[in-house]
Amino acid sequence: MLCEKCKIRDANIQYTEVINGTKKEHHFCAQCAKEMDFGVYAAIFDGEFPLGKLLSGLLGIEDTDKGPDKLHQILCPTCGTGYDEFVRDSRFGCADCYSVFGPLMEDSLKQLHGNLIHTGKTPVYQRQDYMDLRSGTGEHEKDSTEDPNSAVNYEEIFQWNAKLKEALRFEDYETAAVCRDKIKELKKGNEADA
Amino acid sequence: MLRWFEQKDTGRPGVISSRIRLVRNWQDYRFPSTLDEKESGEMVRSLEFGLKDLGKDEGHNFEFAMLGDLEELDRVALKERRVLNSAAVSNKKPAGIFISENEDTGIVLNCDDHIRIQLLQMGLHLEELWERAGKIDDYINERFAYAFDDRYGYLTSFPTNMGTGLRASVVVHLPMLSQGKKFQGLISDMGRFGASVRGVYGERDENFGSLYEISNQKTLGQTEREIIDTVTKAAIQLTNQELQVRKLSLQRHRDEREDEVYKSYGVLKYSRRLTSRDAMIFLSQIMAGLADGLIHTEEDFSVYRLMLGIQPANLQKLSDRPLSKEELDGARAEFIRRELPEL
Ligand SMILES: [Zn+2]
Ligand SMILES: [Zn+2]
Repeated sequence: MLCEKCKIRDANIQYTEVINGTKKEHHFCAQCAKEMDFGVYAAIFDGEFPLGKLLSGLLGIEDTDKGPDKLHQILCPTCGTGYDEFVRDSRFGCADCYSVFGPLMEDSLKQLHGNLIHTGKTPVYQRQDYMDLRSGTGEHEKDSTEDPNSAVNYEEIFQWNAKLKEALRFEDYETAAVCRDKIKELKKGNEADA
Repeated sequence: MLRWFEQKDTGRPGVISSRIRLVRNWQDYRFPSTLDEKESGEMVRSLEFGLKDLGKDEGHNFEFAMLGDLEELDRVALKERRVLNSAAVSNKKPAGIFISENEDTGIVLNCDDHIRIQLLQMGLHLEELWERAGKIDDYINERFAYAFDDRYGYLTSFPTNMGTGLRASVVVHLPMLSQGKKFQGLISDMGRFGASVRGVYGERDENFGSLYEISNQKTLGQTEREIIDTVTKAAIQLTNQELQVRKLSLQRHRDEREDEVYKSYGVLKYSRRLTSRDAMIFLSQIMAGLADGLIHTEEDFSVYRLMLGIQPANLQKLSDRPLSKEELDGARAEFIRRELPEL
């Protein structure tokens, strides 16, 4: 497909405008897209993003059984990023945004990446090692002088975090709120120990 | 110590440099765009403290700076030398950078994402850079647990980085291939294989200097090796095609080529004013001429170093007062006269 602006080069950037729930597709070449004013995307193009197919509307959420009004009410409970803001900036506000907005934009993500399952590297150190470090040993091996209570706290925080994620995935905001309070409490307790 | 772009690597003709960039987020904090001033400051300080011994075991020296403590001109100059991206230059919140002595390794804290690891090297070395980046990645991860999801991989601010968080890129020099009719089609072909190609310098349809950056389009659903392989193959394919066209041009039009290269040298060596556009075009001629053995200088030198050196902020840095546009063109000509070796 040719770029709709210059009609010379191949269009490798798709831009979907979503205005009041109506989608309109545009196709531009990289050069033309670069010159256009896409607000925050100007920086993206001139920065390290290659001709990513990302432009705000591309992440416009697909047709779901939810009416547009309901979509506008979706909000990430952790960082407060709302649906409109998310679509406008194509930017996640926190890790939990992925469980809030991710399921709603599977098709868009598929378009962007082709494949939705991560097959690359996984973090080498996570959870347990991390807890050891946070409790002040700074080493891989467990320090015998380590306060067992603080380790338990972190274990618990991770468990509540997992619950929180699960709750968000099912849009169970009530349970999510309980989890977050619990995590806050546990984190506070930990600071007091330190 | 020579900075990374002052070194020479002609192992693969046409390839200028390689870059690996990884983005990561610390699971304890929301992403930078939703952190307030206080949280940002707190997070950057925690990261700075936790990473203060970075590189010590390998005998590498990293310096740390808060981006806000750097002059705007210095930040732009770092962007011209490819250490920072635009987001880091215009960033207003507390943000920091660990940077190695020769500027080949940079870890930017709290710009688009909490952690942006970048490694640069002259020549085609994505594999090697990925290995080094992986070590730094593990070192950081050992101290700070990452936001990670089994399905979506490393969670990043922008959906264009999620998954591996990896951008592998190679800058190549394609002065002749890019003039051909088939070039746009070639770029589209690369796109179908997941590699995107963009001009590095220039405006609109022009690309002064004929440098192109090839990088992976996708970050999710492929392994890092696959990504690196895609970009490496695209770089090899494009530079091989460039070599073929150049060989042909030498067989058929050697005299014209020689004339162009020597004229370019003359202009660069004797001009009193040079616009960025003209300088890039002539330097590109010299780059091709050296690679094709049409011209020989007394000393070996990196043409790419000159290309980075003549960018506005880096030139401005050499002067003790702000320069007007004309003065900048003068300073550019002077810089090139001084740095271009004799024949
Ligand atoms: Zn166009
Ligand atoms: Zn969020």
